[in-house]
Amino acid sequence: MAIYGVSTVYSVFLWRKGFRKDDHVNYFLLLVAFALHTIAMLQRGFSLNECPVNNLYEAATFIAWAIVAAYLAFGLLPRLRFLGAFASPALFAIGVFALMPALDPPRGPKPEFSGALTSLHAATILLAYGAFGLGAAAAGMFLTQQHDLKFHKLRAVLSLLPPIQRLETIASRLVLVGLVLFTIGLEAGRHLPRPEGVSYWQDSKVVWSIFMWLVYLALLVLRRFFRQSSRRFATGVIAAFAFLLLTFWGTNLLSTLHHP
Amino acid sequence: MNVVVIGLSHHSSPVELRERFAFAEAKISDALKSLRESGIAGEAVILSTCNRVEIYAATALDPARAFAELKRFLLQWGETAGEPQRSSPSPRRGEGRGEEAVFSSSDPRTPALSPLGRGEGVEPVQRIPTDVCDTLYTLAEPQSLHHLFKVACGLDSMVLGETEILGQLKKAYDLAFQHKHTGARLNKAFQRAFHVAKHIRTETNIQRGSVSVASVAVELAEKIFSSLNDREVLVIGAGETSEKTARALLSRGARSIVVANRSHDRAVALASELGGRAVQFDDWAGEFEKIDIAISGTSAPHHILDRAKLEPLMKARQQRPLLLIDIAVPRDIDPEVNLLENVYLYNIDDLQSIADDYLKQRKEEIARCEAIIGEKVKALLDVKRFQPQMNTDEHGYQTQTGSA
Repeated sequence: MAIYGVSTVYSVFLWRKGFRKDDHVNYFLLLVAFALHTIAMLQRGFSLNECPVNNLYEAATFIAWAIVAAYLAFGLLPRLRFLGAFASPALFAIGVFALMPALDPPRGPKPEFSGALTSLHAATILLAYGAFGLGAAAAGMFLTQQHDLKFHKLRAVLSLLPPIQRLETIASRLVLVGLVLFTIGLEAGRHLPRPEGVSYWQDSKVVWSIFMWLVYLALLVLRRFFRQSSRRFATGVIAAFAFLLLTFWGTNLLSTLHHP
Repeated sequence: MNVVVIGLSHHSSPVELRERFAFAEAKISDALKSLRESGIAGEAVILSTCNRVEIYAATALDPARAFAELKRFLLQWGETAGEPQRSSPSPRRGEGRGEEAVFSSSDPRTPALSPLGRGEGVEPVQRIPTDVCDTLYTLAEPQSLHHLFKVACGLDSMVLGETEILGQLKKAYDLAFQHKHTGARLNKAFQRAFHVAKHIRTETNIQRGSVSVASVAVELAEKIFSSLNDREVLVIGAGETSEKTARALLSRGARSIVVANRSHDRAVALASELGGRAVQFDDWAGEFEKIDIAISGTSAPHHILDRAKLEPLMKARQQRPLLLIDIAVPRDIDPEVNLLENVYLYNIDDLQSIADDYLKQRKEEIARCEAIIGEKVKALLDVKRFQPQMNTDEHGYQTQTGSA
């Protein structure tokens, strides 16, 4: 958490400096954070004997872990290293959210959810959120660079950010990957046993998830088939992820399936 | 043994004078040989570009005498060479970006060189004004080394921080080295200069950014498009700046050029030169569906492209990004088109302003570069191996012991 915080502060510095120097400092910070994060998750996973995605705390940390993992892969390309500057504020926010009280209640004799299908359902959905998060970071980079180019800011040419066309492609591919994972996760969830008398269509989390799935599908369809402008697409990706983060907790609390 | 420099550059002399002293590449070896035979220098390198003619010499003479002899050598050379050395008419890499271009000549005449101070074998073709000595600068250690390092780093160039001069300096040094006109002292000095130039390039922003309109346009294109390969460029109005910009884009990978000009013959000529195709001036709008970058530089008194005209064209382009470079005055493109999605419009002032900002940034780096150079010169002079013993070889040339 502390390293994500340092990375966020450093990201502000990079932003103000116009992304002029190779972002290896942020990459290194997030690499260290990822290593520690992975160790912590492994320890928790081994202690539970299953994938640690059983409550909101674990879900939030898993999303953050997925975002960092994807960033570290993209960051192997020097020009995409600046994704970290856009991702680390979101990582820090997710970390703060995860530390909120009551998100990680003491476990009873049995975990809230169990089984391989449950793990698959939770893990793929959380990985999808990670892809959406990194897509939002790429979209943020796109909007920053596009604004600077439109308004003839010198930093548009001085910065080491990638070309806007490439950023748009990255954002849309991340959303596509996220949507595929989301679909797999929802499909896995459809086959999970549910308590008697509880309908999927009455569960707030299920309805919310389908709504999010439709939002991301609409973004891709509008871009691919209706030539929606790049700026609107990027804004949509950021807005969708912000909405996802802000409503994730609330819908989970209201869900009888996920928060019995 | 002192490293000295004598020369003239764009700072001190007009081109009419510089071209009088320029050394044709084929004659440099003879000139170096003459310098050493005359006893002025034990080692020498001649750098001759459009913007400077300089002799770097390691000499056992005291600096005042060495400068007097070197001046006589240069004056003799200038008078002997007579006709100014012509720069190559064909475009070469670096032109249009403000780098120094090398004077080259195919002139087969070789001036009769003789040991200086003896006045033999030289028939002056055209007298050099006597006040030319005032324009020659002379530097002894440590200023001579400082100057060499500055030249290598592009700090003394017409376009601050340009890199072409480093290649020219390496070439001049290689020529002297291959003909064995350098020794421990100049080898060390030049190799250190090349090292310092590399260090300055990586550690400072002196070479960062583009300082010409054409290269700024290319840089902008690279910030918009994933790659310039497969990009099609439309040139409306075949002026000089349009041509330079189109050439710069082609050199960075643009696929093809379409040229539209009021004079169709000129459009055809430019298109064939750039390996593109020409279209009738009235048909340029029809090309918008395919192109990615448009450079407009017509002499039209009004906008030839406005929002109402571009909007349907952008729909036909399926909203692909479009970079518009308007280098015309008065402007060819209505500034309102920049409000359209995926359209990026830059006029000549925008481009010039970016180029000026880059130049300003480079100027701000001068102090840092000077400090680095100062340290490196001091370090070089502190090296014991830079103070070799002098000997005389069997030909009477001054040579040194000690390694480079």
